[in-house]
Amino acid sequence: MRTPRIADDPVRAWEGPVLTTALALGLVLMAIQLWLLTVALDLLLGGKSEGFLRLAAASGAVFAGGLLVLRLLSARPRMHDEG
Amino acid sequence: MSDDRPKWQLEFPYRWDQDDAVTRRQLLRFTVYTSGALFAGTSVIAALSYLRAPAMGPRVAIAREDELRDGEARYFTYPEGEQAVLVRTRSGELVAYSQQCTHLSCAVVYQGEANRFFCPCHDGAFDVASGVPIAGPPRRPLPRIRLERAGGVVYAVGMES
Repeated sequence: MRTPRIADDPVRAWEGPVLTTALALGLVLMAIQLWLLTVALDLLLGGKSEGFLRLAAASGAVFAGGLLVLRLLSARPRMHDEG
Repeated sequence: MSDDRPKWQLEFPYRWDQDDAVTRRQLLRFTVYTSGALFAGTSVIAALSYLRAPAMGPRVAIAREDELRDGEARYFTYPEGEQAVLVRTRSGELVAYSQQCTHLSCAVVYQGEANRFFCPCHDGAFDVASGVPIAGPPRRPLPRIRLERAGGVVYAVGMES
């Protein structure tokens, strides 16, 4: 049995661009997480004792969002977008 | 039977159907895992900041209170061999810092006429009253040493966080 194609289901035809956009957004958010990590390290080396929780919470929120997207995607079967 | 493929494809045959392509879902999953690693790293740093031991150190006498005039400095070691400097600022306040530059750990020297600490390695400079960098590559302030006065003597009692 062949894998269904996007062309077979016009309702799901928008999923490809949406997924690509989500992936690009995820990469940007990951870069922001890297920046948050360097800020936390800078604070630690600078002897500061405040602001760490907010940085960790922001990074955790990005990670939780990524997990949510993965969970949503895993509930949907993959479709081919090529001929 | 003629083969109408380009010459480069004949010389370097490539089987696209055998290619191990990475799907967007796989890339997204890898991105989320990396995101988790970055979150874990940030959390570890946050935990370290809360678990860090209080910055109390040995109590060491470093000078008599009236020994330094305004704008003068005295070099000492604290704690255990680390170079440090005690300065009476122009406003009469006593401050002490580690001499280790926060850029690449060269020893900074006090320049009274310029009212600054100067790092000769990369021309970095720090404010005397606050220890914050005012020139050059350093971005973090000099580690400040906590002082106490008792019986006319100035003691170093730990590093400030």
